[in-house]
Amino acid sequence: MKLVVTICLGLLVLAGALGVARIVRRSTLGDRAIAFDMLTSVLTCSLLVSAGYLRDGLLLDLAIVLGLLGFIASVTIARFIEARDGSE
Amino acid sequence: MMNDVFSTLRDVLSAVFMLSGSLLAVVSSIGIHRLGSTRARMHATTKPATLGVLLCAVGAATQFVDVSDIAKVLVVVILQLVGAPIGAHMLGRAVGGK
Repeated sequence: MKLVVTICLGLLVLAGALGVARIVRRSTLGDRAIAFDMLTSVLTCSLLVSAGYLRDGLLLDLAIVLGLLGFIASVTIARFIEARDGSE
Repeated sequence: MMNDVFSTLRDVLSAVFMLSGSLLAVVSSIGIHRLGSTRARMHATTKPATLGVLLCAVGAATQFVDVSDIAKVLVVVILQLVGAPIGAHMLGRAVGGK
Protein backbone atom coordinates (compact mmCIF):
# COMPACT_ATOMS: atom_id res chain seq x y z
CA MET A 1 0.00 0.00 0.00
CA LYS A 2 2.81 2.37 0.85
CA LEU A 3 4.46 1.79 -2.56
CA VAL A 4 1.19 2.39 -4.40
CA VAL A 5 0.53 5.63 -2.51
CA THR A 6 4.09 6.78 -3.22
CA ILE A 7 3.60 6.13 -6.94
CA CYS A 8 0.21 7.90 -6.90
CA LEU A 9 1.58 10.98 -5.13
CA GLY A 10 4.57 11.01 -7.50
CA LEU A 11 2.25 11.00 -10.51
CA LEU A 12 0.14 13.76 -8.96
CA VAL A 13 3.25 15.84 -8.26
CA LEU A 14 4.26 15.40 -11.92
CA ALA A 15 0.78 16.53 -13.02
CA GLY A 16 0.93 19.52 -10.69
CA ALA A 17 4.40 20.50 -11.94
CA LEU A 18 3.20 20.38 -15.56
CA GLY A 19 0.18 22.51 -14.62
CA VAL A 20 2.35 25.09 -12.85
CA ALA A 21 4.66 25.14 -15.90
CA ARG A 22 1.62 25.89 -18.05
CA ILE A 23 0.64 28.81 -15.78
CA VAL A 24 4.16 30.26 -15.58
CA ARG A 25 4.84 29.94 -19.30
CA ARG A 26 3.63 32.79 -21.45
CA SER A 27 -0.03 32.11 -22.23
CA THR A 28 -3.43 33.80 -22.22
CA LEU A 29 -5.53 34.40 -19.11
CA GLY A 30 -8.05 31.77 -20.23
CA ASP A 31 -5.34 29.11 -20.51
CA ARG A 32 -4.06 30.01 -17.05
CA ALA A 33 -7.56 29.76 -15.63
CA ILE A 34 -7.95 26.29 -17.17
CA ALA A 35 -4.58 25.19 -15.78
CA PHE A 36 -5.55 26.56 -12.35
CA ASP A 37 -8.80 24.61 -12.50
CA MET A 38 -6.77 21.48 -13.23
CA LEU A 39 -4.38 22.24 -10.37
CA THR A 40 -7.18 22.40 -7.80
CA SER A 41 -8.53 19.05 -8.97
CA VAL A 42 -5.01 17.53 -8.80
CA LEU A 43 -4.67 18.87 -5.23
CA THR A 44 -8.08 17.41 -4.33
CA CYS A 45 -6.93 14.05 -5.73
CA SER A 46 -3.73 14.11 -3.68
CA LEU A 47 -5.66 15.03 -0.52
CA LEU A 48 -8.02 12.11 -1.13
CA VAL A 49 -5.12 9.69 -1.71
CA SER A 50 -3.39 10.88 1.48
CA ALA A 51 -6.66 10.63 3.43
CA GLY A 52 -7.16 7.07 2.22
CA TYR A 53 -3.62 6.09 3.18
CA LEU A 54 -3.58 7.77 6.61
CA ARG A 55 -7.29 7.02 7.27
CA ASP A 56 -7.60 10.57 8.52
CA GLY A 57 -10.99 12.24 8.24
CA LEU A 58 -9.56 15.74 8.68
CA LEU A 59 -7.99 15.67 5.20
CA LEU A 60 -11.46 15.04 3.74
CA ASP A 61 -12.66 18.35 5.22
CA LEU A 62 -9.75 20.03 3.49
CA ALA A 63 -10.74 18.34 0.21
CA ILE A 64 -14.31 19.69 0.56
CA VAL A 65 -13.02 23.24 1.12
CA LEU A 66 -10.62 22.94 -1.81
CA GLY A 67 -13.36 21.71 -4.15
CA LEU A 68 -15.55 24.68 -3.24
CA LEU A 69 -12.63 27.09 -3.57
CA GLY A 70 -11.73 25.79 -7.03
CA PHE A 71 -15.32 26.25 -8.22
CA ILE A 72 -15.52 29.82 -6.86
CA ALA A 73 -12.11 30.67 -8.36
CA SER A 74 -12.97 29.47 -11.88
CA VAL A 75 -16.37 31.24 -11.81
CA THR A 76 -14.71 34.48 -10.63
CA ILE A 77 -12.02 34.36 -13.35
CA ALA A 78 -14.67 33.61 -15.99
CA ARG A 79 -16.76 36.61 -14.92
CA PHE A 80 -13.62 38.77 -14.90
CA ILE A 81 -12.67 37.72 -18.45
CA GLU A 82 -16.22 38.36 -19.67
CA ALA A 83 -16.33 41.83 -18.08
CA ARG A 84 -12.89 42.75 -19.44
CA ASP A 85 -13.61 41.58 -23.00
CA GLY A 86 -17.03 43.24 -22.94
CA SER A 87 -15.68 46.70 -22.10
CA GLU A 88 -13.07 46.70 -24.86
CA MET B 1 -7.43 -15.40 8.35
CA MET B 2 -10.67 -14.24 6.70
CA ASN B 3 -10.09 -10.73 8.02
CA ASP B 4 -6.66 -10.75 6.42
CA VAL B 5 -8.09 -11.69 3.03
CA PHE B 6 -10.64 -8.87 3.22
CA SER B 7 -7.96 -6.37 4.20
CA THR B 8 -5.78 -7.36 1.22
CA LEU B 9 -8.75 -7.24 -1.13
CA ARG B 10 -9.65 -3.76 0.09
CA ASP B 11 -6.08 -2.55 -0.35
CA VAL B 12 -5.89 -3.92 -3.91
CA LEU B 13 -9.24 -2.33 -4.84
CA SER B 14 -8.22 0.99 -3.36
CA ALA B 15 -4.81 0.85 -5.09
CA VAL B 16 -6.38 0.23 -8.51
CA PHE B 17 -8.77 3.18 -8.13
CA MET B 18 -6.10 5.55 -6.79
CA LEU B 19 -3.60 4.63 -9.52
CA SER B 20 -6.11 5.11 -12.32
CA GLY B 21 -7.18 8.47 -10.88
CA SER B 22 -3.57 9.68 -10.67
CA LEU B 23 -2.85 8.47 -14.21
CA LEU B 24 -5.84 10.48 -15.47
CA ALA B 25 -4.44 13.57 -13.75
CA VAL B 26 -1.10 13.09 -15.53
CA VAL B 27 -2.86 12.59 -18.88
CA SER B 28 -4.80 15.84 -18.44
CA SER B 29 -1.64 17.76 -17.52
CA ILE B 30 0.10 16.44 -20.64
CA GLY B 31 -2.98 17.42 -22.64
CA ILE B 32 -2.85 21.10 -21.66
CA HIS B 33 0.68 21.26 -23.05
CA ARG B 34 0.18 19.37 -26.29
CA LEU B 35 -3.26 20.38 -27.55
CA GLY B 36 -3.60 23.30 -29.91
CA SER B 37 -6.50 25.59 -28.99
CA THR B 38 -7.99 26.81 -25.72
CA ARG B 39 -11.16 24.79 -26.26
CA ALA B 40 -9.15 21.63 -26.92
CA ARG B 41 -7.10 22.20 -23.77
CA MET B 42 -10.33 22.67 -21.83
CA HIS B 43 -11.49 19.32 -23.17
CA ALA B 44 -8.22 17.78 -21.91
CA THR B 45 -8.61 19.12 -18.37
CA THR B 46 -12.31 18.97 -17.52
CA LYS B 47 -13.13 15.34 -18.21
CA PRO B 48 -10.16 13.78 -16.39
CA ALA B 49 -10.69 16.27 -13.54
CA THR B 50 -14.15 14.93 -12.81
CA LEU B 51 -13.38 11.25 -13.38
CA GLY B 52 -9.96 11.41 -11.67
CA VAL B 53 -11.36 12.95 -8.49
CA LEU B 54 -14.19 10.41 -8.59
CA LEU B 55 -11.73 7.48 -8.85
CA CYS B 56 -9.46 8.83 -6.10
CA ALA B 57 -12.55 9.38 -3.90
CA VAL B 58 -13.68 5.78 -4.39
CA GLY B 59 -10.15 4.61 -3.62
CA ALA B 60 -10.12 6.65 -0.41
CA ALA B 61 -13.65 5.64 0.59
CA THR B 62 -12.77 1.92 0.49
CA GLN B 63 -10.18 2.56 3.21
CA PHE B 64 -12.61 4.11 5.69
CA VAL B 65 -14.92 2.19 8.01
CA ASP B 66 -16.65 5.15 9.66
CA VAL B 67 -19.89 6.22 7.96
CA SER B 68 -19.24 9.93 8.64
CA ASP B 69 -15.93 9.75 6.74
CA ILE B 70 -17.60 8.07 3.77
CA ALA B 71 -20.27 10.79 3.83
CA LYS B 72 -17.51 13.41 3.62
CA VAL B 73 -16.06 11.64 0.57
CA LEU B 74 -19.56 11.71 -0.94
CA VAL B 75 -19.75 15.47 -0.34
CA VAL B 76 -16.41 15.93 -2.14
CA VAL B 77 -17.68 13.91 -5.10
CA ILE B 78 -20.99 15.81 -5.31
CA LEU B 79 -19.20 19.18 -5.11
CA GLN B 80 -16.87 18.12 -7.91
CA LEU B 81 -19.67 16.72 -10.08
CA VAL B 82 -21.73 19.91 -9.70
CA GLY B 83 -18.98 22.52 -9.59
CA ALA B 84 -16.57 21.38 -12.31
CA PRO B 85 -19.03 21.42 -15.25
CA ILE B 86 -20.49 24.80 -14.20
CA GLY B 87 -17.04 26.36 -13.84
CA ALA B 88 -15.86 24.86 -17.14
CA HIS B 89 -19.01 26.05 -18.90
CA MET B 90 -18.54 29.62 -17.65
CA LEU B 91 -14.86 29.58 -18.61
CA GLY B 92 -15.70 28.21 -22.04
CA ARG B 93 -18.25 30.97 -22.60
CA ALA B 94 -15.76 33.59 -21.39
CA VAL B 95 -12.84 32.58 -23.64
CA GLY B 96 -15.14 32.34 -26.68
CA GLY B 97 -13.85 30.82 -29.90
CA LYS B 98 -10.21 31.76 -29.35
